[in-house]
Amino acid sequence: MKRPWTMLVLSVSAALVAAACGGTAATSAPPASAAASAAAGASGSAAAPAPSATPSQQALKVGWLSEPDTMNPLTTYSTEGVEVLQLVYDKLLDYNLQLKPEPELATSYEYSSDGKSITFHLRSGVMWQDGRPLTADDVAYTYNLIHDNQLGQYAQFLTDLTSVTTPDPATVVLTFSAAQAFNPGLVVPIVPKHIWSSMDAKAIENFANDTPIGSGPYKFAQWQKGASLTLTRNPSWWGSPLPSPASITWVLYGNGDVMGQALRSGEVDIIPQVPPTVYDGLAGAPNVTSVSLPSFSFHHIGFNVSTNPKSGGNPLLRQLVVRQALEYSVDRNQLVQLCLAGHGQPADTIVPAGLSDWHLAIPADQALNNNPAKAKQILDAAGYTVRDSSGVRSAPDGSKLEFRLIAIATTDVDVCAAHLFQNAAAAVGIKLDFQTLDTNTLGSTVYNSAAPNWDIFVWGWDSGVPDPEYMLGVPLCSQIGGNNDVYYCNKQYDALYAQQAVTLDPVARKAITDQMQQMYYNDAAYLIMWYQDKLQAYRTDTWTNWTPVPGGMIFNFTRDNYLSIRPAH
Amino acid sequence: MPRLRYFLVKVVQVLVTLFAVVTFNFYLFHVLPGDPIRLLARAGNLQPEDIARLRQLFGLDQSLPVQFLIYLRDLATGNLGMSLAYRQPVADILAQRIFNTVELLAMATVLVIVIGVVAGVFAAARRGTRADAGTVVASLFFWSLPTFWTGLMLIFILGVYLHAFPISGAGTPGVFYSSLPAQLLDLSSHLVLPSLTLLLVDIGQFVLITRSSLIDVLTEDFIVTARAKGLSARQVLWRHGVPNAMLPVVTTSALYVGLVVGGAIQVETVFSWPGMGRLIYDAVLRRDYPLIEATFLVFAVTVILVNFATDLLYMWIDPRVRNA
Repeated sequence: MKRPWTMLVLSVSAALVAAACGGTAATSAPPASAAASAAAGASGSAAAPAPSATPSQQALKVGWLSEPDTMNPLTTYSTEGVEVLQLVYDKLLDYNLQLKPEPELATSYEYSSDGKSITFHLRSGVMWQDGRPLTADDVAYTYNLIHDNQLGQYAQFLTDLTSVTTPDPATVVLTFSAAQAFNPGLVVPIVPKHIWSSMDAKAIENFANDTPIGSGPYKFAQWQKGASLTLTRNPSWWGSPLPSPASITWVLYGNGDVMGQALRSGEVDIIPQVPPTVYDGLAGAPNVTSVSLPSFSFHHIGFNVSTNPKSGGNPLLRQLVVRQALEYSVDRNQLVQLCLAGHGQPADTIVPAGLSDWHLAIPADQALNNNPAKAKQILDAAGYTVRDSSGVRSAPDGSKLEFRLIAIATTDVDVCAAHLFQNAAAAVGIKLDFQTLDTNTLGSTVYNSAAPNWDIFVWGWDSGVPDPEYMLGVPLCSQIGGNNDVYYCNKQYDALYAQQAVTLDPVARKAITDQMQQMYYNDAAYLIMWYQDKLQAYRTDTWTNWTPVPGGMIFNFTRDNYLSIRPAH
Repeated sequence: MPRLRYFLVKVVQVLVTLFAVVTFNFYLFHVLPGDPIRLLARAGNLQPEDIARLRQLFGLDQSLPVQFLIYLRDLATGNLGMSLAYRQPVADILAQRIFNTVELLAMATVLVIVIGVVAGVFAAARRGTRADAGTVVASLFFWSLPTFWTGLMLIFILGVYLHAFPISGAGTPGVFYSSLPAQLLDLSSHLVLPSLTLLLVDIGQFVLITRSSLIDVLTEDFIVTARAKGLSARQVLWRHGVPNAMLPVVTTSALYVGLVVGGAIQVETVFSWPGMGRLIYDAVLRRDYPLIEATFLVFAVTVILVNFATDLLYMWIDPRVRNA
């Protein structure tokens, strides 16, 4: 099921990332980095791992519920766009099936001793799909283009970029004004200078790129809008061996039920998002395997804590005790069982449990969860008592604990959660008036930073990179007007954020991110309900060798499952 | 002369209606809560300045009346604008979608109207018999079926269980056709289930309207006269009965065509048919203003033209209108 917010999950984001991953070896010790990072580069598993994989004539068909916005890799904002284009355009580095960095166009890289510059050594003999050679010039052009024009979603990774130099056609040096824990080589797709340099920035923003030319393992074949999109194998790709699927076609379905039926009937080979209801029905289907993987996502209930004088939010929500009482009122396990049919786990902090290296688990006895008695107790102690026959608590000045609650009408799990939350809150004497809206209306209501006129909403987030940085970056003061949807602002939290961003040692960094998670949890601006599982299903009689990856076999940060599957027969 | 005047009056009405629709469309969607850029930008560390830059790129930083004037100017030159979501000319996106929708609906509409009218005449001619009662009950039954559910049932039975027809799309994805007949065959097999769904859920109204209208007509004096002249029952029915019962059927058909152009959203969703219904649904959810405006314009023009054609048709089939 395509959740409205996943469309926004611009696949990659968050400034500094992935020090945790394989790059760790390189980034954690900048002084000794030259040797270490080259080793990390070389030790990453190859882009097309299985040596026995042979090119076949068989096609791979994938179902999806939403189309890409554009074939322009620099301006796409959709997960679907990124999913397709990552196979057409190579990056300098990429994530492997363990979500650790692996070499792509760069065979190795090293950090300078101060961590401020990265030198990439390019693979030799790489050709663009139109037969022209790929050189350091193309890389430099792409990085400069994005940086100079603040182009698309990748610009945020290059804010500190000061120069790009190419000492020789096989070497690129990126220099930054500050140490870079995150290596932008992992996310930025490289485009051919000889095609793109004829356009100015404005033209590139509006460039639909109807026939993309990249250097990747697949070539663009056709896109029938509203129906399907097809790529075919690039026989002259630099990787070895070539991937097995002769072509990959993504087929658009109008809804998840029909997509599930299409998998059963063999119209598609894999579906990346299975609604929980369909998932259970697929259990006994012949030749179909369904998998439940941890995800980098959560759904939450957000409280408007804006201190903007124009805020229309109920000021009682700015009282910590009221928010904590609401947190205590809810049984997150019940939410998971009833709304997700058990396909997820009860949540605590803002860093999803799927990011197991970074997630801070709150011990049960300290959790703000499933304790209505405690909720009543802290409300009583703070003077919020029932003063009339309505059963609703009020402050000593008579203002009632009555709030507006909004959720997205088409996101069933959120509507379910909102109803349960309403009951739970009522049980501790807090009244919630529930209303559903469409995604866009909810989005613009919540994000109306000039005058946020709402109290409580239900929504979700998907971490755009396999790193805590992304989610921790949302509640920053500087993100008010940006992504900060509850208008939380805590200078101490912001200072910790800045500190972790330049802390290259993962242990030291984890200590800081733990502290941030605890702080945000205690401040209770978000009631994080659950980390939902990523449910995917595939046919076993067409393709084999799918590797389960946290976050999903496909539609994840790695393209390697497309490259390593093999025909079943 | 009255005929020409009738015609001219109708043309003026059409033009005024069109302008009203264009204006209304524009303002309706812009005053709706929501914002195409805001959601695009819900990610990572996108800063407020980035959002402002995107808004400017799409011309959304201008005041609403200015945006409207720009829209009118573009429209006058035949430019429907750029889609915000697809960042492509709206006209390109619309062209293929309209073709797909017309393909599906032309087929379904003809079937619904022809079979519906014939069944209605069949029932009316046998008024009060079991055949009549059976037709009425069946029509009511099918009319009350939800479109979405009917489509899903057909998918389960004919698509997944019997494997008789493809369940989604307007063609087999990723296929390059070797010949035109191969392409047409593929298309027709994909057309079966969605057309059948439309036929089942929409036929009832035509049966019932034809039947009741014809039953009225058959009690008129001129029918008795026709019978008294010694015409056969068949001649009475088809030559004197049916033509006089067609007025409400023509009206319903016109309304139906209008509904169908914008109203096949459910069928298109269930069968993942790449038509206008899906396009408008997604466009509204994304607040893709240029695309919404253009699709609604297409709907409006279709409805207006069909109504215009109906008015002219009235003139032809009903002398009372002609001479009014």
